[in-house]
Amino acid sequence: MALTNAEFASILEDNSKEINGGIEWTEDEDHSPAVEFRVEIHSDVGWPLFVRGSYNRYAGTLSYMLILKTDGRIYGLDMGKDHHNPECTQVGEKHKHSWTEQFRDKEAYVPEDITTLATEPVAVWEQFCAEAKIKHVGGRLAQPPAVQEELLL
Amino acid sequence: MSVHMICQEFKANLSELFTCSEQGGYQRIRTPYLFPDGDNIDLFCKIEDDLITVTDLGETTRWLRMQSVSLRRSPKQLKLIEDACLTHGVEFYRGMLLARCRPGDSLAAVVIRVAQASLRVSDIWFTFRTRAVESIVDEVADYLSEHQFHFQPREKLAGNSGRGWTVDFHVRVPARSSLVYVLSTANRSRARAVVEHVTAAWFDLNHLAAGPEALHFVSLFDDTADIWSDEDFSLVESLSTVSRWSRPDEFADVLREAA
Repeated sequence: MALTNAEFASILEDNSKEINGGIEWTEDEDHSPAVEFRVEIHSDVGWPLFVRGSYNRYAGTLSYMLILKTDGRIYGLDMGKDHHNPECTQVGEKHKHSWTEQFRDKEAYVPEDITTLATEPVAVWEQFCAEAKIKHVGGRLAQPPAVQEELLL
Repeated sequence: MSVHMICQEFKANLSELFTCSEQGGYQRIRTPYLFPDGDNIDLFCKIEDDLITVTDLGETTRWLRMQSVSLRRSPKQLKLIEDACLTHGVEFYRGMLLARCRPGDSLAAVVIRVAQASLRVSDIWFTFRTRAVESIVDEVADYLSEHQFHFQPREKLAGNSGRGWTVDFHVRVPARSSLVYVLSTANRSRARAVVEHVTAAWFDLNHLAAGPEALHFVSLFDDTADIWSDEDFSLVESLSTVSRWSRPDEFADVLREAA
C-alpha cells in the first residue's frame, strides 16, 4: 500500500526527526565526479527514513533527498537541473520534489526557503534541514572535498 | 497545414528544444529528454585537441542513486547499464556515460546517442522495488533463477481446512523441496497481519510437511526495511525456517540443506 498524503504530511511535520553526529562526503561506488553521503534519521514515530546527499561540482548539481525505505524518495531538493512537472510546466533549476498520492514524487515546486546557491552545499543543507524539520545534532556536514580535474576526463 | 509544412515546422523548431550554456569548464546542453521523475537530462561537452567529449558527467547514475534505498547497484542493474551502452555505442567510465565526437562526426548525432543511453540507464529506476513495478517476489524469483534453483511460482495448495493457499515459491532441490512464503509489507501497521496469514497457512498445510516426500517450509522476511518485531519472527518460527532477504546466501543454503 503506497504512502498516503496524510502519512507523508505527518512524516514531514514530525518535529522529532533527528540526525546524530558529523557527516562526511565520500566517493560513490563508481568513483564518479560526484560525492555523496547517506545518513539515518531517528524519530519518535520510527519511520524507516534516511537522507541521501549528493554534490557534483563539475555539473553544478546538488541534491538532498529524504528516502522512506518502504517507498523510495518521498521528498527532496534538487539544484542545478531543470524539472518538468506532469502538468507540462518547467519548474526551474532550484526545485523540491514532494510526495502526493496522485503523482508520487514526480511533482516539484520552487522552494522559497532555499536562498543559497548550489555551490554552498553546507549552507543549503542547513536550510533543507530547517524546512524538513530535521534536527542535526552532535556534528556538522563537512565541506565537500576537492576533486582533481586532471583525473576526470 | 500540409504534410510538407509539418516537416518544415518540425525541422525548424527541433533545435530550440536543446539549449546550451556554460557550466564550469564545459558547455552544458540541456535536452528535452526527462528522467523518470521529470528532471531534464543535461549533457556536457569538452573540447580537447580535435575531439569533443560528450558526457553526462555521471549525472544519470547520480540520479539513480538518489532514488535508491540500496547501497549498491545489483548485478542485474549493472548488466542493464552495459546493455544500454552497447546499444548506443557509449562508454561507461567512472559512472559517466560518454562518447567522442571525432572530426567529421555529427555532434548532434553524438549528443542524441548519449542522451538516449542516459534515458535508458535511468529507466533502470523502474526495476527498483519501491517503484511498485518490481516487487520483492520478482527479486526473489530473479535470485532463484540466477542461482539455478528449479522452482514453481505462485503454487496453489489445499489446506487441511479445505481452504486454498497460494505459496510464493515451490523450490525443488535434489535433497528435499521447500515451500517459500515471502513476507513483505510497506506498512509497519500491517506487519502482524502478514505474519498471521503466513502462520495460518503453514498450520493449515502441515500435512505436506510429513511423510517420505515431506516439504520444508521457509518464511522469507523482507527485512531491508525495519518493519518486523521479534514477536513476528517468533510466530512463524515454530512452523517454518525463518530466513532473511538481507542475507540471500543464507536463504540459498536453507533451500539446499533442506534435508
